[in-house]
Amino acid sequence: MNEKEKKAYLEQYKKDKEKGVPFFPDILFKDAIVSLIIFLGLIAVAYFIGAPLEERANPSDTTYTPKPEWYFLFIFQLLKYFPGELEVVAVVVIPTLAIILLFLLPFLDLSAKRHFWNRPWITVLVVSSVAGVLFLTVQSIRETPPPVEIAQGDPIATLYVENCASCHGGTINVPEGTNLHDVIAQGNHEGMPAWSADITSDDIDALAGFILSPGGNALFNELCRTCHEPSELVASDPIELKAALDEGRAYAPHAEVTIPDWNEVITPQKRTALLNFLIAPDGQRLFATNCAQCHGRSISFAGNRDELRDLISQGGLHLEMPPWRETLDNNQISTLAEYVTNPTATGNGSELFAQYCASCHGERIPTMDDYAAALEIIATGGAHQTMPVWGEVLTSEQLDALVNFTMDAARGAPLELGQGLFAENCAICHGDFGEGGPNPTRPDDVIAPISTSEYLKTRDDHTLFQIIAQGQPNFGMSPFGSAFGGPLDDDQVNTLVVFIRSWEANPPVELPPEVDARSVKLSADEVYTQLCAQCHGTDGLGLIGPSLRDPDFRAANTPQDIFETISRGHEATPMIRWGDLLGEDTIQDLTDFILGLEISDAGVQPQATPGFSSFAEDVMPIFEAKCAPCHGSMGGWDSESYEAVMTTGRNAPTVIPSDIENSILAQKITGTQTAGKIMPPGGKMTNNEIQIVLDWIVAGAPDN
Amino acid sequence: MIAKIANWFDERVGWKVIWEAIFLRKIPKVNWFYTLGSATLFTAVNQAVTGILLTIYYVPTPDHAYDSVQYITTQIPMGWLIRGLHHWGASAMVVLTVLHMLRVILLGAYKYPREVTWFTGVFLLLVVIGFGFTGYLLPWDQKAYWGSTVGTQIAGAAPVIGDWILRVMRGGPDLSAVTLARFFGVHIWVLPASLILLVAIHMYLIIKIGISAVPKKEELA
Amino acid sequence: MNDGKQLDRRSFLGLITWFIGGSIGAGYSIPAIAYIVGPAARKEEDQAWLRLGAASKVELGTPTLFKIKVERQTGWITNEKELSVYVLTENGRDFVAMSNICTHLGCRVRWIASQDQFFCPCHNAAFSKNGEVIDGPPPRPLNQYQVKEEDGQLFVLGG
Repeated sequence: MNEKEKKAYLEQYKKDKEKGVPFFPDILFKDAIVSLIIFLGLIAVAYFIGAPLEERANPSDTTYTPKPEWYFLFIFQLLKYFPGELEVVAVVVIPTLAIILLFLLPFLDLSAKRHFWNRPWITVLVVSSVAGVLFLTVQSIRETPPPVEIAQGDPIATLYVENCASCHGGTINVPEGTNLHDVIAQGNHEGMPAWSADITSDDIDALAGFILSPGGNALFNELCRTCHEPSELVASDPIELKAALDEGRAYAPHAEVTIPDWNEVITPQKRTALLNFLIAPDGQRLFATNCAQCHGRSISFAGNRDELRDLISQGGLHLEMPPWRETLDNNQISTLAEYVTNPTATGNGSELFAQYCASCHGERIPTMDDYAAALEIIATGGAHQTMPVWGEVLTSEQLDALVNFTMDAARGAPLELGQGLFAENCAICHGDFGEGGPNPTRPDDVIAPISTSEYLKTRDDHTLFQIIAQGQPNFGMSPFGSAFGGPLDDDQVNTLVVFIRSWEANPPVELPPEVDARSVKLSADEVYTQLCAQCHGTDGLGLIGPSLRDPDFRAANTPQDIFETISRGHEATPMIRWGDLLGEDTIQDLTDFILGLEISDAGVQPQATPGFSSFAEDVMPIFEAKCAPCHGSMGGWDSESYEAVMTTGRNAPTVIPSDIENSILAQKITGTQTAGKIMPPGGKMTNNEIQIVLDWIVAGAPDN
Repeated sequence: MIAKIANWFDERVGWKVIWEAIFLRKIPKVNWFYTLGSATLFTAVNQAVTGILLTIYYVPTPDHAYDSVQYITTQIPMGWLIRGLHHWGASAMVVLTVLHMLRVILLGAYKYPREVTWFTGVFLLLVVIGFGFTGYLLPWDQKAYWGSTVGTQIAGAAPVIGDWILRVMRGGPDLSAVTLARFFGVHIWVLPASLILLVAIHMYLIIKIGISAVPKKEELA
Repeated sequence: MNDGKQLDRRSFLGLITWFIGGSIGAGYSIPAIAYIVGPAARKEEDQAWLRLGAASKVELGTPTLFKIKVERQTGWITNEKELSVYVLTENGRDFVAMSNICTHLGCRVRWIASQDQFFCPCHNAAFSKNGEVIDGPPPRPLNQYQVKEEDGQLFVLGG
């Protein structure tokens, strides 16, 4: 632009101005209108779209796909075309050139022409730049697939986006062995709600499948959605699913449908993904839907993981049920058969089932429609169930998950069983947590805790087994092992041992202060009266244990022997290792105390005189100790006074004077009455005690 | 009465001269495309007003930024509107700035005697981009954090001084509280100050030189 | 060309321009005022019965101090506030709960048993054990809380 042109322009502009309009209001009016439109437009977007706010910045979340503000997208996109070394071109060279170009524009375009038609180069440059930026922006938007958009028309993805994505983002990395269905349904980790109230079980299955196999969900939408809803097929019978995939049109329900041959359309990888979506590799769920029908809640399985995997994959006739007719009588078999055909029909079928069948069948009762068939199967046993060859049906992920769960469940089962057994058999005397308490069989005696780590550390499993099986008659504990006439078989005793052992790592109770003498030092005679007198008598003349004043005893034992016997216990007798509980000083004092006792010939006195019992002095204490804990004001037979003993009870009279045969009390304590359990429930009373009660009844049950 | 008060003030302030110089000056007849500049100015005012209002509640630290933004959006009456206007106003401002620039280029308005006006305009474009870049981080949500991480990373790709630029932008090697604080500072002090200065020069020049007339297709050679 | 008509059109445009400008101005100012005033106009959070402790802890005739933690939501921050309450009873049945904040300038008053009065260390104010001003600058007695006793526990109404 030369001086002439400049002058010409200024003159022309002056003319234009004179022909023009005042800025206010003509021009400003237009500006005001445009501003108003923009203002209203902004209010509209603010109202209808709002300013978005995503979840709080999480610097440790590496799965987030970063996206700059939309007007920077073109630079972002540009980077894709200049990888590696060339990045500099996109990042520095192009933007810098663009800015420099803008600044230099007045010097580059020096012509006097202003209209775009008359400056084709500039116009082409501008139009192509704008087109380029628009293209890059559009391309960038298209190439970043926002996860929310795939959700369109995909019910499970929508479900995921609506319920899970806000916390979990686009994908969830599920640790192996997670029971996903359970996690979703119950919500187990921090802040995660239990979805079971809002999402149906089928949808949870589908969600689990979606999370573990999103590709499978996509395939499902592509191939199956035309005819099937996800909820219809998820967690359905894997054998049917496999058949449908294998047989294609030959699959009976698909006969009428025009579908491709799945084997041609779906590659093995896709097939696995699809199956993993339909049946999520979630061990617990797989077990519940496929195995529980026959196996109940868990299977006891002692082998290792590989064996179990083989067993499940190979399937077939793996169950060897014993022919029960060799063990059970006809009556019991028919009760069981009736029970499995109609579980509500018989009362004690469940007891039999629990005793004989539950170890393999779990808590679930196998369903049989035909009584005769059930009878036959139970009686003959054998390979009575055909397990499908799961190896051909399930995907490898599903198999792994199933094996993991089954192993865990099998390991967990004895503890639960043991807890049940303990509650049923032991808790009445030992307390729910083995914390002990007053000994109902021996007045003024206290049952020490059996769940302390000290107690358990000093007894191996074998010892515990023996104690449970043989009982400790001296302490009023009756034998529980069936070999000794008790109600539990060896397996059950073992289960109890495992359960009790489980306390060792985490004892529910610690020693009560009155037994733990290490902290509170008691004098030797106090210790003796509290601990030793129980067995050796308050006077030391012996009760269950030998007399400590007997000359022979003293002659046979040196003070060192006595000290060691106290600290180490006596294996053949109930005498425990007091060294675990008492300090060395206390034991030394105790030894001195015992040695200080005067030597005496007086032996162990017989405790009761058979043939004569006084109600008040002999019978009532037994009732108080053995019966009153339950038979009191709670209803039924009341054992708390003579009057009540003679008149109360559901089938009163409970005691018929002089008639042992028909007195219910006599029947219950001797075990001749078979309806219900032997009384007391903790185990039979000692023969001595039974004799006292029986003698009293024979004597006419006097109130003396 | 109003005229009397107006006169009283005019005698002392002399506003009438200014009013006549700015608002009653004659302008060549122009079309609607010439409103883009004032529209951009309007969005700038919108950003200033809503931005000032946002700072009343906003706290630029990582432990409060997100909560305070959420508080503004959900708890404060009209907070959604103020933040919505600011958020969308930013986009509108970028769009209008670019459209305004295209109009200026295509109609040759940057030519003599308006070259300086054009320079200030290019600087203003850079300031607007700077606003967008720094403002993006302030809500401290996922999009903000990761978008700014990548944004600063891109700047760091420059040769030789790239790493240095990156560290200066972030105030350290990582995107942190320091980054948030300095982005905030730049967003509400440095850039607005530049904006006001540049807009003032821009406006002064427009008023002094006058808005360019619409060029005719058949102009003298 | 009719000059008068032209002028009319101009003043009409001017009027509209002013009007639009005014509307946009109002469009900003009204929400802005609501926005600024908002938290102040917000109603105080609902008061709730706060458990102080066992009524038996209050000595007869002596103001007994209870401190409880109250969660308060201020803006986007939840913080714990400690509420100190002096409880006085003459008969073990009727309780008076007083704030320990001096009504003068908000210092904490304390019970001085030897003088049988509350003492505020800031400006040497003294209150009787019922909270009435005995000495010093406080303009009114100590604030009282509504108090109730339930199952041997004392509750005050506060927030």
